[in-house]
Amino acid sequence: METQDKVLAILEEITGTDEVRDNLEVELFDEGLLDSLGSVQLLVELESEFAIEVPVSEFERSEWATPQKIIEQVVRLQE
Amino acid sequence: MVKLSIVERIDQWAMQDGERICYQEHAQNYTYSDLKKDSDALAKIIQNRWQNPLPIIVFGGLDYEMLVSFLACAKTGHAYIPLDLYTPVERIELITQVADYAGILAIAEWPIANEAKEIISYPDAYEQTADVVDLGQCVKGRDNFYIIFTSGTTGIPKGVQISHDNLASFTDWLVTDFQFPESARFLSQAPYSFDLSVMDIYPALLSGGCLVPLKKKIVGDFKQLFLELPKLALDVWVSTPSFLDICLMDAAFTAEKLPTIQCFLFCGEELTHGTAEKLQQRFPSATIYNTYGPTEATVAVTQVKITKEILEKYPRLPIGYAKADTTITVIDERNQALPAEQVGEILISGPSVSKGYLNNPEKTELAFTKYNGQPAYRTGDLGSLEQGLLFYKGRKDFQVKLHGYRIELEDIEHHLMAVDYVKLATVVPKYQEEKVQQLIAYVVPNEHTFEKEYQLTKAIKEELKKTLMDYMIPQKFVYVERLELTQNGKVNRKKLRDEVNPE
Repeated sequence: METQDKVLAILEEITGTDEVRDNLEVELFDEGLLDSLGSVQLLVELESEFAIEVPVSEFERSEWATPQKIIEQVVRLQE
Repeated sequence: MVKLSIVERIDQWAMQDGERICYQEHAQNYTYSDLKKDSDALAKIIQNRWQNPLPIIVFGGLDYEMLVSFLACAKTGHAYIPLDLYTPVERIELITQVADYAGILAIAEWPIANEAKEIISYPDAYEQTADVVDLGQCVKGRDNFYIIFTSGTTGIPKGVQISHDNLASFTDWLVTDFQFPESARFLSQAPYSFDLSVMDIYPALLSGGCLVPLKKKIVGDFKQLFLELPKLALDVWVSTPSFLDICLMDAAFTAEKLPTIQCFLFCGEELTHGTAEKLQQRFPSATIYNTYGPTEATVAVTQVKITKEILEKYPRLPIGYAKADTTITVIDERNQALPAEQVGEILISGPSVSKGYLNNPEKTELAFTKYNGQPAYRTGDLGSLEQGLLFYKGRKDFQVKLHGYRIELEDIEHHLMAVDYVKLATVVPKYQEEKVQQLIAYVVPNEHTFEKEYQLTKAIKEELKKTLMDYMIPQKFVYVERLELTQNGKVNRKKLRDEVNPE
């Protein structure tokens, strides 16, 4: 639960909307909430918050496209 | 001996060593002899079509044909105006209203439906010809070589005119003072409409080097980007610090995996200590140059090598020493030179200072002057000098650099307020380690029927895409009922700026 809250707080800060909390399935790229610059910022902040290393060279947008998917990625990388 | 013009010097490589590669994209190689032949042929077409000396718009992405077009313009005495294919239509229209131009060389499809001027679609118009162009007409001296459009406070872009001699002053400095390896491979990542690209195009072509493009669609897809980088076999890296930050995210971005890179050049925005230190650790034997300069003084006018000693000595990195033909003076409000270590406006004087903005005498008058008999430009940047070494201390006005792109906040606000959904708005930068990280729009909306705010944001962003470059569109929108005004009736930016960036 704690991971979820922290991820959502970061997403809310970057996208400027609490929609990311209300709707975990919102398509961040399609809805214009995240672009490539935003995703760089997201990865940098996730890495420092959770002390994880995101293998950026394997970054696929489709795997990071919703708040739910991002939470799952972070949980997976923490294991 | 008369010094040869820039195009003549580039053509010389075709005569001396024609098979040398000047541009390589994947398996596609272009030689200096191709470059000369193709630019001569296009120059012939231009000579037949456009007899007037007006500038020519060159429209497209990072393509070899763009270079051919630039050189063909220079060979026929025309300045070129590079416009990136990602420029929104309404912004192109604003630029075409300012620029009086002969016609358009379209490498990508020209998006204006009722274009009044003639369009040459290149390379469709290509005609094989054995003719060699007489370079008697070529751009030289004070003639404009290129005109680059940049964000303007009124919402209308300003065209900075760079002459042949401005450019020669810049390239002579780069080729002599920076230690580039022989026939080096240069990264070409910046769009041609951004003058950072001038830092790779002309040093590469004048020194017989090779340009290696890295296109926007690859940069936007990290997986492809990191697959692609090692294949480029680069010797010289030219980019903004922001692009480097993306690359540093990959743990494999190291000297071990990219052993050919010998030299890094940064320009366009602040190189932070954190970024430089990380790079120095990853590439301990590469030379790292930090450079500084506005478009109005031809790309860059100061440089400093970022060594371990510099990193240890300065928590905020210096931006460099002036090139030999140029003077940096720090001035006060009354244009008087300030003593060392005092903070004031950076004034640049020397032969690379532009003659001014195209067809815009008012803005030219405000920023361009003479200093000790030399053409001079008031940058609006704040700085201080310590034994000739320049330090950057922010801006006098509301110009920001985001990922190296120069943006007037008033330009964004002008177009934002033109959107129907918006009653009043202001744009505030959010900083991290002295660099703008994000632009936040504070908006008082008009009545609307969107259920949720993010849907309103999406609709406003759609509108902005028509008039603003993508990097100018604020990432974040905050909706408020009112914005506090100052006594002059303007939005109180300072208060919002302090709120967004608490000490």
